[in-house]
Amino acid sequence: MTRSALKLALATGLIALAGCDRNEQAANDSAAQGAEAVKEAGDKTIAAGIDQDSRFLSLAKAAGLDATLAGPGPYTVFVADDAAFAKLPAGTLDTWAKPEARPELTRTLSYQILPGTVLAEDIGKAIDNGDGKATLATMGGGTLTAAREGDKIVLTDAAGGKATITKADEVLANGVVHHVDTVLMPGSA
Amino acid sequence: MRMWMLAAGAAALALTSPTMAERGGQGGGKGQNAQKAERGQVKAARGGDRQVKAQRRGGDRARTQPQRFTQREERGKDRAQTKRAFQEERGRDRVRAVQADDNRGRGRGNDDVRVLRADRDSFRGHDSRRFADGDKVFRVRDIDRRGAVRFRDVDRDDLFVRRLGFGAGGCPPGLAKKPVACMPPGQAAKYVGSPLAAAARFAALDSLPNAFRPLYLDNDDFYYRYGGGYVYRVDRDNDLIDSLIPLVGAALIGQPLSSSFINPYYTPSYFNAFYPNSPYDCHRYGYGYVYETDCATGLVEDVIPTFDYGYGVGQIMPASYGYYNVPYAYRGSFFDNDDYYYRYAPGAIYRVDRDTSLISSVAALLTGGLTVGQPLPMGYSAYNVPYAYRTSYYDTPDMWYRYNNGYIYSVDPTTQLVTAIVRALV
Repeated sequence: MTRSALKLALATGLIALAGCDRNEQAANDSAAQGAEAVKEAGDKTIAAGIDQDSRFLSLAKAAGLDATLAGPGPYTVFVADDAAFAKLPAGTLDTWAKPEARPELTRTLSYQILPGTVLAEDIGKAIDNGDGKATLATMGGGTLTAAREGDKIVLTDAAGGKATITKADEVLANGVVHHVDTVLMPGSA
Repeated sequence: MRMWMLAAGAAALALTSPTMAERGGQGGGKGQNAQKAERGQVKAARGGDRQVKAQRRGGDRARTQPQRFTQREERGKDRAQTKRAFQEERGRDRVRAVQADDNRGRGRGNDDVRVLRADRDSFRGHDSRRFADGDKVFRVRDIDRRGAVRFRDVDRDDLFVRRLGFGAGGCPPGLAKKPVACMPPGQAAKYVGSPLAAAARFAALDSLPNAFRPLYLDNDDFYYRYGGGYVYRVDRDNDLIDSLIPLVGAALIGQPLSSSFINPYYTPSYFNAFYPNSPYDCHRYGYGYVYETDCATGLVEDVIPTFDYGYGVGQIMPASYGYYNVPYAYRGSFFDNDDYYYRYAPGAIYRVDRDTSLISSVAALLTGGLTVGQPLPMGYSAYNVPYAYRTSYYDTPDMWYRYNNGYIYSVDPTTQLVTAIVRALV
């Protein structure tokens, strides 16, 4: 009887301990996975990790941001796929190709970049802590609003457009890339 | 008065090449970081002063606005006193923006202004020429063919270099191979829609300088010509100027600052630290540009593009960024070399081509930054610590960690205040 009580007490204690450690354990796990991912990425930077023929990278080059994405970082980049660029109003890409539109292009691209490494899981947690939405500061100075829609994370830009993260957490040496289905627009100047 | 005289000398300064104080960064290898940082501190302290002073001035305002002269003269004295008090109060005693003035600015009793005014002619005699600036004495050591003037600060036994502008409008160094006058932006804008010949009447046009060619490529529809401080894009179909890209100055200079240019709801957090107001110069932020206005008249004196609205590649680095000012966390990664130098301007670290002073790429993007003691700004609710540091710094109910500009900060989740820098990265 005494023995079983002791066992019970011990077990409860252990559970309690485990509870305390859960946070730490989870953090360690995710960090360990992360470390693995970084190791896998090796020296591959965001600039090298993005599809080299993609429109995003060619625009980044035009704005001189390819050096940034190959630099120390870390950054979180929402890379819109080529289909997303095709969805832009007619003539937008042509306008961006003009040298005099470079400031506008730079402004738009830096709106797709966040400081630091923000995983989809981190955005998710911030959404949960923030009553269903999280505001994310971008490098361009504006903010994005993140919310859950089903099991996806949806970002709302300053212009009211919505972009869904289609493929999350592509970890590279100097940050992380999330693929989105819409180009995030920073709103009018 | 002071402003008027500054305006007269504006041109040259506008594009003074940032050759000074590069030793701070040039030190080279990563092994020297500590030493570099130490020197950097000194430089940065000095640089901060210059930053204020040297945000100078694009176009040819003295010429375009004669009516301002009288106003300024009346105000001159009072302002000079206030200015001095202001400067002493701030302990800014080392402002030594050197201005090259084409045949103006001599002997006007302007020693309240802590700006060394140098007449171009006077450099021709070089060597023995001394300048007194308050209790500071400078000696012009020599001047090379490209307009770089070396000064010696007699007190500190310190040599520093300033580059003079060329031509009446101070065309960019390296671009003005011919003595081409630069044109006020307002005037240049009128050429859009005109035949190229119209612009050619004002300034000799040429093909683009080498540094621009990769940025502005001729194609089947358009070709580009450079002259008078502007790149003209010409439509091949009708040979009319389709658009122009100012490489000096901005169209607003000399105009009153309309409230529609100012965004009352958003000012970046770095703004005040980077562009402090003085009794003379009031800075306003609006939609990506910092407007330096004359506090009394409200006229725009300078327009400084900031990165959030796309200050960038292909533009000239303003003369005010004449010293190595890369944040310490990034000094190991970006140091000046023979081909490029690196400059921090709000929003980014830029890589600048040494020959042309053109920004050739964005080396790193930076945010406004966090400060210990400040509330965590909006947009940092998501955990963003780099992978390699996640085992050490993970969020708990008592402590959050956030990454920003090369540092990991701790944040108190209850008060949402940034409590400390816990780790420097990069």
